Amino acid sequence: MKEVKKEKLETSIGDSTSIGDSRSALGALTVYLITGLFLVVGFWVVGNNYSVDLISDPALTLRLLWSIEFPIVVIIYSLFRRNPEECSYFRAVGRSIIGLISGALINALGAVSLGAPIGMQSLPKTIHWSFLMSVFTFVPATAVFGASWTDWHRVFASLKPTGNIEYMIVIPAYGAIIGGWFGAWPMPLDWERPWQEWPVCVCYGGIGGYIVGQIVSLSLMLFLRKSKNLKLA
Amino acid sequence: METPPKNNKWIAIGFLLIHSIAILIFTRGFLLTRTELPFHSTCSDVSLSPCLASSRPNHDSNFNSSSVLSNQNHPKCWTKAVVDRVIIIVLDALRIDFVAPSAFFPEAKPWMDKLTILQKLAFANDSSAKIFKAFADPPTTSLQRLKGLTTGGLPTFIDVGNSFGAPAIVEDNFINQLVLNGKRLVMMGDDTWTQLFPNQFQKSYPFPSFNVKDLDTVDNGCIEHLFPTLYKDDWDVLIAHFLGVDHAGHIYGVDSSPMIKKLEQYNSVLEKVIGILESQAGPGGLHESTMLIVMGDHGQTLNGDHGGGTPEEVETSMFAMSTKKHTASVPPEFDTSSCKQDMDGKQICISSIEQLDFAATLSALLGISFPFGSIGHVNPELYALGSSSLNLDNSDLGNFGTQSAVKEWMENYVNVLCVNAWQVKRYIDVYSNSSVVGFSSDDMSRISDLYSAAEQSWSNSVKRILMDRIGDEDSTNISPLKEQIVAYLSFFSSVVELARSKWTEFNLNLMITGFGILVISLILQFLAVFCGDKSYAVESWLSTGAAFTLFIVTIRASSFLSNSYILEEGKVANFLLATTGLIKLRYSVMRKTMQKEAVIFLAMVSVLRVSIDIGLTKQAATSQFMSSSPSWMLGIAPDLPALTYAIEIAPIVSMVILIYVLYIAIAETSSEGLWKYVTVSSMISYFLIALLWASESKIFGLDVLLQVIGGRNRIPQTVYVIGLVQLFLLASARIFGAGKDMSWAIRTVALVSACSSSVILLSGKQGSMLALAYLLAGYCIMRLEGVERTQSDGQHKFSKLNPLCVMQWSLLSICMFFASGHWCAFDGLRYGTAFVGFDEFVLIRQAILLTVETFGFSVLLSVFGLPLLIPNHSQTPQAHGKKRYQLFQMYMLYGVISATTVTATILCVTIQRRHLMVWGLFAPKFVFDVVGLILSDLLICLASAYYL
Repeated sequence: MKEVKKEKLETSIGDSTSIGDSRSALGALTVYLITGLFLVVGFWVVGNNYSVDLISDPALTLRLLWSIEFPIVVIIYSLFRRNPEECSYFRAVGRSIIGLISGALINALGAVSLGAPIGMQSLPKTIHWSFLMSVFTFVPATAVFGASWTDWHRVFASLKPTGNIEYMIVIPAYGAIIGGWFGAWPMPLDWERPWQEWPVCVCYGGIGGYIVGQIVSLSLMLFLRKSKNLKLA
Repeated sequence: METPPKNNKWIAIGFLLIHSIAILIFTRGFLLTRTELPFHSTCSDVSLSPCLASSRPNHDSNFNSSSVLSNQNHPKCWTKAVVDRVIIIVLDALRIDFVAPSAFFPEAKPWMDKLTILQKLAFANDSSAKIFKAFADPPTTSLQRLKGLTTGGLPTFIDVGNSFGAPAIVEDNFINQLVLNGKRLVMMGDDTWTQLFPNQFQKSYPFPSFNVKDLDTVDNGCIEHLFPTLYKDDWDVLIAHFLGVDHAGHIYGVDSSPMIKKLEQYNSVLEKVIGILESQAGPGGLHESTMLIVMGDHGQTLNGDHGGGTPEEVETSMFAMSTKKHTASVPPEFDTSSCKQDMDGKQICISSIEQLDFAATLSALLGISFPFGSIGHVNPELYALGSSSLNLDNSDLGNFGTQSAVKEWMENYVNVLCVNAWQVKRYIDVYSNSSVVGFSSDDMSRISDLYSAAEQSWSNSVKRILMDRIGDEDSTNISPLKEQIVAYLSFFSSVVELARSKWTEFNLNLMITGFGILVISLILQFLAVFCGDKSYAVESWLSTGAAFTLFIVTIRASSFLSNSYILEEGKVANFLLATTGLIKLRYSVMRKTMQKEAVIFLAMVSVLRVSIDIGLTKQAATSQFMSSSPSWMLGIAPDLPALTYAIEIAPIVSMVILIYVLYIAIAETSSEGLWKYVTVSSMISYFLIALLWASESKIFGLDVLLQVIGGRNRIPQTVYVIGLVQLFLLASARIFGAGKDMSWAIRTVALVSACSSSVILLSGKQGSMLALAYLLAGYCIMRLEGVERTQSDGQHKFSKLNPLCVMQWSLLSICMFFASGHWCAFDGLRYGTAFVGFDEFVLIRQAILLTVETFGFSVLLSVFGLPLLIPNHSQTPQAHGKKRYQLFQMYMLYGVISATTVTATILCVTIQRRHLMVWGLFAPKFVFDVVGLILSDLLICLASAYYL
């Protein structure tokens, strides 16, 4: 049944190069629902099978979360890879594994420069947090663009995404990063709540920002569909 | 713009003046100061007073025989000793409702009525114990309170004359008087006592008070030593300070089971203590004439906070008990007790006392001279507990026998008050003569009038009554005594009122005026930056750079409203700096230029954050508000040989790199003449510093060198002299108008390098590495300036200033303050650096060195180095005038950014003036910020005189 859905998605988003097809917005919604569902599944597995949560054992929770979320993101986004005729599906999956690791590295470095704790105790937390952030930010992009620097540059640096799939990549990614940035704000407060520890609230912020980004990108897609006739040549 | 505005300098000076006035006004309302006087009372002083030299010239026979016997051992001092030994049990943060019965409060709470033993004793018939509601004066922090309790004064935030750093009390105090009078002291518990009184205790068992999460170590230590000591006779005053209730409040709050457990534990401890005392209280026993005082140093709120002046925090309790069975009763006029019916319909009463009076009352009880600076008076009820009377058979008021006892007691008390009033008057006179900010003459004359009236009636009538008394129990004689006491008490209360208004009350009007002036100056500065000459002014309001700068400044300013963000200010600044770095990185990737610089910038920010973390762990070690978490350092093995080697060698290597950078700066630019020589001499200074460090470390074997040059002070002194000569040369060159056409880069390099050598030297070995990081980060900021602009509009906007780079520079300098191991507290000052190059202490010289060390990176180099941010990409002649104007704008912008944060700090201090941490956190932060602002303003004036 999943296969069928995938096929549908592929036809609905991957093929259509035109912006703002109502079907493609629907497809994006489906993708978001699936990724969101697996995020929920991840939390459920963590809570039920391991009976821990983000506060009691952040490293384990984050590891489970990203390792559940990662395959589904790769599987879905690899369907929308650029140049599907030159690049096989498995190649897209392979390169997104590289993207996962390098993205995690960049996320970790960014977090450290912003003030994430460094040290042996928080190392596993930082690593798994950056893997999760990498799943939100880098993995979809590597699965779709590969190593095409021009695409990366256009979408992420210049913020000029074209096509629904690029909206689906860039807006949730920025959402996750900005959400994580805001999530760090309660950390210095002296409320002495367990969720103020690194990386719990940053995680919540990141996930929240990711979801907000998804909603924004969906509404952008719908909005652009309306103004498509005016704007698009 | 061929002739740049001449009034630029005046604008800078104008803002300096406005800020100084605003801060001066605010400070007068907020930071209350008191001068500590170095004088001490001695026993022989009392002959100067108009009072009777001995309290009972011819009536010893009338006195309780046992107490005469016990008092014969002690030479009489100011008053006759009425108790032999005192046990002071301090229960930190003891709220009044922990001790007083719940009948006194609107509703019974779980934490009430736990110290049942105290209530039982206080409300028993024929009791010689009493419960007092004790009023503490803010700041209600333990250290300040202990100081207040022992000196009998009102400690303020800044007690001028405080010794540099060490908290030991230099003022005359109760403990000191005990030692002078040959009393033996034993202390156990909170180690604050040993900090305050390092040498006074004959025996002490201090326990660390830092760990708030530890409820038991101090208490168990106290209990362990308390009971054996009670059986010994080698002490006269015992102090046991329990911390458990305070810590339980901080961690769990008042309404919690650990708190109730603690109170129950204390109840059993006190039960046992009282049991021991009573078993030894018989005639000839160890505790025949002992007074037990159980007291809190301050209260706490239901959340366990204290420090401010709310009723919950200042109302603490005191329980006093004498082992003598018959204690004198107080005439109802001087009885402060408030009474309630308890559940059985029995009358229960608690009295009240000011903590201010504690030192004087205890001194009177023990018969020692009162502390010189005490402004309290001997509390009648507490004093009555100690003084016993033979004639008192039962406690029926109105009985004739009691009347005579009352009279006898009053005669005694009035003489004590006479001595007391004389002592307080002496202190007030000496204080107003010797203090910088004394009392106003109106106040002084009012107090003098009250005192002389009281003294008049004393010498006219009362003294004669006391001298001529023939032992008749005529009750009509009581009234002059009563009047005399009332006269003294009104004198005391007016003194205390004056002292409170001077030393403990904020003047809100002054504070608001100061704040208002600061806000107005902020608006003016804003106008100067944004509405200056349009053609060169800062980018318009709507540009992203300006908006983002505004955003960051607002976040930073509003972060000061929370104490947590102030504590972690370094991290917050670093977070914001890294955020700007990330945004710059994004732009540089977008524009495909300067990517290397953006990455290096982020790397430098990460280096700074590690340094800030190290600084924070140092801060946490001494701060009472921070929990230290050095966990991230656990991974590093500290004594790895390679690591020690690297630590020794890295500062020297970075020094060499700095020399190389200066060399490049000379070689690449057309530096010539004076500026070249100044820069070259900075290189020599750098080399000398590197040499000094190399000879100090062991691995180079250069120890001989120090002997050759003649001591380790020679090199630092040379560096200072070189720096001063350089500054003198640069200033004189400026005055004689040379080098007007020199480019800013050359002049800036000369000035900054001249200042930097001393700053690096004072900062110690981390200084060179930090300077290098600072330099690199500053270079990246300069390169990244304007990276957001697209190529097309870069041409016509280039002359406009991008506020973001000034913002980054200002954030960077704040990070440097924290990264160089400082924080906004007085224990964060590195007093050791004041002695780099000098062995002996000269106040002004050492203060200058300390200031240079503290604000060197964050203000001095930052302000003087600002012109380096001007991009160098236009050498056309008419660009000079433009740049001059731009530089002025940059200085204004820098000024407005610093002034905004200081205004936010001041607003926060005004709002939080009754906050728990106001003296521990906000006030030091305020002082640092204000000093930093004035210093920046001053340096901006100098810099605009030098550059413009």
